[in-house]
Amino acid sequence: MSLLGTEAPDVPTLMQSLDVDLLWHPSLSSLSPAKQETLLDDLKSGAKPLDVLVVEGAVVRGPAGTGMFDARGGQPRKDVAVALAKQARFVIALGTCASFGGFGADGEIEATGLQFTKSQKGGLLGADFQAKSGLPVLNLAGCPCHHDVLGNVLLALAANAKVELDEFQRPLDWYGMTVHQGCTRNEYHEYRVEEEDFGQKGCLFFHKGCHGPLVGGTCNKTLWNQRSSKTRAGVPCFGCTSPEFPAADPFFETRNIEGIPIALPMGVSRAHYMVYKGMAAAAAPERLKKRITEV
Amino acid sequence: MSPTRKIVDIPFNRVEGDLEVRVEHDDGAITDAWSAGTLYRGFENLMIGRGALDGLVMTPRICGICSTTHLMAAARALDAIAGVTPPDNAIRLRNIALMAEHVQSDVRQSVLMFMADFANPAHQRHSLFEQAQQRYTTMGGSSFIDVIRETKKILEVVAMIGGQWPHSSYMVPGGIAFEPSQAHLLQCLQIVRSYRQWYERRILGCSIERWLAVDSRAALDVWLDENSTQRESEVGFLLRFGRELGLDAIGRGNEAFLSYGSLDLPADTDAVASTRQLVAAGVVRRTTAETFDAAKIAEDVSHAWYKKALGALHPFNGETQPYATGREGGAYSWIKAPRYDGSVVETGPLAEAVIDRRPLFLDFLAGPGASALTRQLARLTRPTTLLAAMETWLVECIATHGATIIAGDGQVPDGQGFGLTEAARGALGHWVSIENGKIARYQIITPTAWNGSPRDEGGVRGAWEEALVGTPIADPDNPVEAGYVIRSFDPCLVCAVHTVKRNH
Repeated sequence: MSLLGTEAPDVPTLMQSLDVDLLWHPSLSSLSPAKQETLLDDLKSGAKPLDVLVVEGAVVRGPAGTGMFDARGGQPRKDVAVALAKQARFVIALGTCASFGGFGADGEIEATGLQFTKSQKGGLLGADFQAKSGLPVLNLAGCPCHHDVLGNVLLALAANAKVELDEFQRPLDWYGMTVHQGCTRNEYHEYRVEEEDFGQKGCLFFHKGCHGPLVGGTCNKTLWNQRSSKTRAGVPCFGCTSPEFPAADPFFETRNIEGIPIALPMGVSRAHYMVYKGMAAAAAPERLKKRITEV
Repeated sequence: MSPTRKIVDIPFNRVEGDLEVRVEHDDGAITDAWSAGTLYRGFENLMIGRGALDGLVMTPRICGICSTTHLMAAARALDAIAGVTPPDNAIRLRNIALMAEHVQSDVRQSVLMFMADFANPAHQRHSLFEQAQQRYTTMGGSSFIDVIRETKKILEVVAMIGGQWPHSSYMVPGGIAFEPSQAHLLQCLQIVRSYRQWYERRILGCSIERWLAVDSRAALDVWLDENSTQRESEVGFLLRFGRELGLDAIGRGNEAFLSYGSLDLPADTDAVASTRQLVAAGVVRRTTAETFDAAKIAEDVSHAWYKKALGALHPFNGETQPYATGREGGAYSWIKAPRYDGSVVETGPLAEAVIDRRPLFLDFLAGPGASALTRQLARLTRPTTLLAAMETWLVECIATHGATIIAGDGQVPDGQGFGLTEAARGALGHWVSIENGKIARYQIITPTAWNGSPRDEGGVRGAWEEALVGTPIADPDNPVEAGYVIRSFDPCLVCAVHTVKRNH
């Protein structure tokens, strides 16, 4: 449903410009059940070519590895994903659950992603899996995946453009920046003017559990629904593009030692950060301390 | 089973999730039905032991289409535990985003999921088929494309209030996390006004006021013949083609209706309603209206894949452990069977219309009864009851900009509470217990659990199982009629699949 929000380009234009057929989509397809089964058989056997397989949702292996918590016609649905992945030129995991297992990775449904279980490579298809194109699974993480990502990655694949991936197989174009970048609360972060109660102007990183500086994502670069982002609306980033999402610690809280968060911005050393933030707080201008500057 | 009876299993697409319906048919009509949610996600188990506010983050992610509604239910449960009433502008800004989600969902579901089947080859001999193809073909139809383009704009309202759609968590105990800027509120107002204009032009073919004057079946016929704009609108086409296909004669169900009530009125507002909520709570069984009492809700697991509890239990006491036994013992679904005071009830826009005593829909019930077409008409025209209040509340927020948006400290003490609201597809409730600052129990009953439940221990069919009985089935390989009946309930199987609590 996130995808239908895409603007650049919108979905019908995207389908036109890619010149692709949407063979099947759980929410949009209008094939009769019988034709749907024939299509599935043809795709599995290779009789009909499958350019792109997009899998949404976690691969369910529970209970006890049987996959019967998620069955289709009495058979585990994960088997369908394996059969189709073998035939596809490109395999895309859409969302954090399909990429890394997500919510159910530690639960009784024994969820896994297509090629990762949380940060561990492997998953349903195995660490060495390559689609027919030679590319591994492309992980378009996020809960949900930002609406512009899928369309743009499809356009890149159609153009034979090289899609560079990070260590978790997420395209760098969309995950190579932090969610923090572009946040309108950046100045409050810079000078460590913190939000302690909901509704304040201030940085959400120090008390409200914001993951913005900790994870990659395009939320504050591309914006949501062309308009805003959670952090701009006073809601902390929950780190939903991370292979470890959802973290076990409570949301809306920052665990800290002496007022400095335990989890520091990507790649930052603790000693330097403490000195820097102490100096920054001392240097904070009145307009931030008095929370005059808008966010 | 007589030798002529046949069984067909129908895997459904365009229902937002994982639904397989087994129907038995004889002589071209469905004689019995079993509806199976085929996915168990164990969502609530994952929440046990998590932070007290984590329902605000976890539960919207249950579902990509009811995300804001889950947030509303979760926040209301926490409000109840904290014993706080949000300030007026927080009530307004919660409502406006929820209503934005509803008015896009009603139109998207109607056109992209329900009316999409008007282009099904099964209808190729019908006089309107060619037009139906031009309008509703997936990815190419004129209505299909227009609806995708226009409905996403209204979601910008949710983003300006809550940061993003779907999956924001901007509703917090006692209010909302941040007040949108004056500029954003003004932009929201513009978007709501343009959406209304588009909705009136394309969906209704007339003004909302003209539509709301349609107060009987006779008045509906007059409306349909009044001019070509109304006849060619989406509502006009739904009525004309729907009648030609006989959708007004199938999918009656048991005509018992439930609404939890939704959209609290602020203390000081120009919006008008018959109760303190814009959408009234209530129960109607046959023609008898009753006061809704949340204590009368219980869930039965006799035909669901869970270890069996001691009969039907209230969600505060639910006993649920998944137990995948296949067809053994008559279990066939991951959906539990919620019942109201022991009865099967349906929920959704038709139930809301009946409980709100809207004359057109009462006239349908008094005459031919409920049907797939009536249900879909109630959905496609529900925005007529929401769009004006959205505008009113935005204007009030702009006039009072700067007023407080949260009561209390945003935290939640130990305790037990529940949050009820109406999703686009009907009654949604969260029942929550907090102990030692952590979630000790989280139970959710979704609209699709009400509508798509399996049988209960009395063997009574769930709402759409019952509605399927008697439905014609011309081609078992392309059972388009059964599709209309099921989709008229706007199924959302992603979240119907019941999730459980772990006992400690």
